[in-house]
Amino acid sequence: MSMGVHEIEDAALLFVFGYNGADSHPIVARRIVRAKQKGAKIICCDPRRIETARIADMHLQLKGGTNLLLVNALANVIIEEGLCDDDFIEKHSTGFEEFKEVIKKYTPEGVAERTEISAGEIRKAARMYAQSGRSMILYGMGVCQFGQAVDVVKGLANLAIMTGNFGRPAVGIGPVRGQNNVQGACDMGALPNVYPGYQSVTVPAIREKFEKAWGVKLSDQPGITLTNVPHHVLHEPDPKKRIHAYYIMGEDPAQSDPDLAEVRESLEKCDFVILQDIYMNKTGQYADVILPATGWCEHDAVYSCCDRGFQKARKLIEPTGDVKRDWEIIGLISKAMGRPMEYTNTVQIWNEVIDLCPGFMGATDEKLEKNACIQWPCRSKEEHDMGTVFLHKDGKFAHPDGKAKFAPSEWRPPQELENEEYPLSFSTVREVGHYSVRTMSGNCRTLRNLEDEPGWIQMNPEDCGELGLRHGELVKVRSKRGYCITRCLPTERVKKGATYMTYQWWIGACNELTIGNLDPISKTPEYKYCACRVEKIEDQAWAEKHVREEYEEIRANMGIQTKGGRAA
Amino acid sequence: MTIKRIQSTCAYCGAGCQIMFTVDTEKNKILEAEPAPGRTNDGTLCLKGHYGWDYLNDPQILSKRLTKPMIRKGGKGSPLEEVEWDEAVRYTAGRLAEIKAKHGPNSIMCTGSARGSGNEANYVMQKFARVTIGTNNVDHCARI
Repeated sequence: MSMGVHEIEDAALLFVFGYNGADSHPIVARRIVRAKQKGAKIICCDPRRIETARIADMHLQLKGGTNLLLVNALANVIIEEGLCDDDFIEKHSTGFEEFKEVIKKYTPEGVAERTEISAGEIRKAARMYAQSGRSMILYGMGVCQFGQAVDVVKGLANLAIMTGNFGRPAVGIGPVRGQNNVQGACDMGALPNVYPGYQSVTVPAIREKFEKAWGVKLSDQPGITLTNVPHHVLHEPDPKKRIHAYYIMGEDPAQSDPDLAEVRESLEKCDFVILQDIYMNKTGQYADVILPATGWCEHDAVYSCCDRGFQKARKLIEPTGDVKRDWEIIGLISKAMGRPMEYTNTVQIWNEVIDLCPGFMGATDEKLEKNACIQWPCRSKEEHDMGTVFLHKDGKFAHPDGKAKFAPSEWRPPQELENEEYPLSFSTVREVGHYSVRTMSGNCRTLRNLEDEPGWIQMNPEDCGELGLRHGELVKVRSKRGYCITRCLPTERVKKGATYMTYQWWIGACNELTIGNLDPISKTPEYKYCACRVEKIEDQAWAEKHVREEYEEIRANMGIQTKGGRAA
Repeated sequence: MTIKRIQSTCAYCGAGCQIMFTVDTEKNKILEAEPAPGRTNDGTLCLKGHYGWDYLNDPQILSKRLTKPMIRKGGKGSPLEEVEWDEAVRYTAGRLAEIKAKHGPNSIMCTGSARGSGNEANYVMQKFARVTIGTNNVDHCARI
């Protein structure tokens, strides 16, 4: 995020795009409510009538898969109606003329039909965004989980640049990062193209720095992404590029990744699968070796929250099993492979990290130990440097010329559209009471009571009526790739023709349906769009029994002593 | 009863909420989680922040806590068998070394974790991939 979470409430206008804070980050969502209380205008752009839409001044309930059409049309209005911040564009950006060329055909009238938003509403929203004085964009997976994702992110950045909404308090654009430490895993270089601190593996001077620090020659070839693993196990024609071993730490691809049938096949066919985790999970069913690790509250760590903030997570209790800390396990394996990597504590590792990353250099353990939340960049170890609340101060951007670059793109539709056989659109969404693959939340008694298998499919009541479906009945949801069983939830929150499921469930496993289409740059799957159909199950008694038995069976496979008495 | 109060960061979503835990150090149990005045959460917590630590008690609901290294000694499809750490580490290192020798370093993929493990573990994992294995094949679930 270019801004801090605490700044959200001070924006004059919040443009919330494909981001459902109330379900994915309840505490961040509170800032949106507070902004409203302090007088901010809110524009909510989402195909569902989410909680933010209920308090918004405008709800642009667009048709899924048309994000870039809408974003480009907003830019079109801002240009055509002379609402740009010409001074900011002139001093702090490049590429505006080329950008205007591409944008000129995206008129509000031209996109109204496809986006299902009237030209009048688009004009009104564009004016509000451009004229508030302090407009902030928040976006989420409704932008990123499409085959065309990066272009939309750039499109949102274009809006902020052209209206001068960067580099001041309470403006900017904020991808509200999902998991507690997804920002941190990126910061630490658990990415195939950058070392820690976003330093590129292909720049010789940087590579030499790390070679010197680590005492080895390093590869100059970027690696492959997680979402490309199934391809590299199953379909890669070049034998030199095939994946034969997969070392998985704290993830469950057999539940969380798209097109699960393909994921399972790739785990089965991969020669050697290592799972290092805290609880048994679906991926563990395919692992050749399982390495048990300590969990949250059992070890010390630094996490990076969604707005670049480093904070300490502390060890509260001693682990009871024969488990080890993640970094300790990796170190032991490394040593057994002939390369000792012996750390004795996390502070030692953290000191090595910050000394290799200029942007993190000042985030010392001493500062973090005082319960500070240090937002990077923090370049000086001196006490006065407590990090950076918002990026691009005084219009200074990260490009070598210090300027922001306009990046126009043409819209393209999602890969798989509704058709005769699969007439509904399908998207995955978040569950407020559970988290991700629910390894943790599903094993907490209070949270388990909030929601359980087999989850729900959100559908428009009219679609339910046509299929003769009632609230709570079990249905079969099918796509070209597979099916799952879940409960029908008729709700006015969703548009006719669209359906939504949360991805926590084993039986209502919506990733049996999702498509592996990836954004060409970010390699993020198109979780937010594919085609499905919903089938009525006549024998509900059978279906209920089937769900119960299936749940018991999977839990038994996960080592739980179930009523059926199966093995632990 | 020895009671300690320790501040920590929530491990669910990316909001980075600060939690004040009350811990019984004799019984090695967490007793309570309360909101702490963090920069992002400003003295509030959601349900996951309040109750999301119960998994540490292994309440036998969904799946079993992993408490011992395991290997499928009979190959794929055979049951997992509990082993000592020495054996698990030797076996894992041996198989990785063998695959690296046969197919090259780029035939091995490693993942970091966006969840509880933390920054230090991610740093060590990417260093392991780059230094010990010799590949940039390291990624995590940011894309999903």
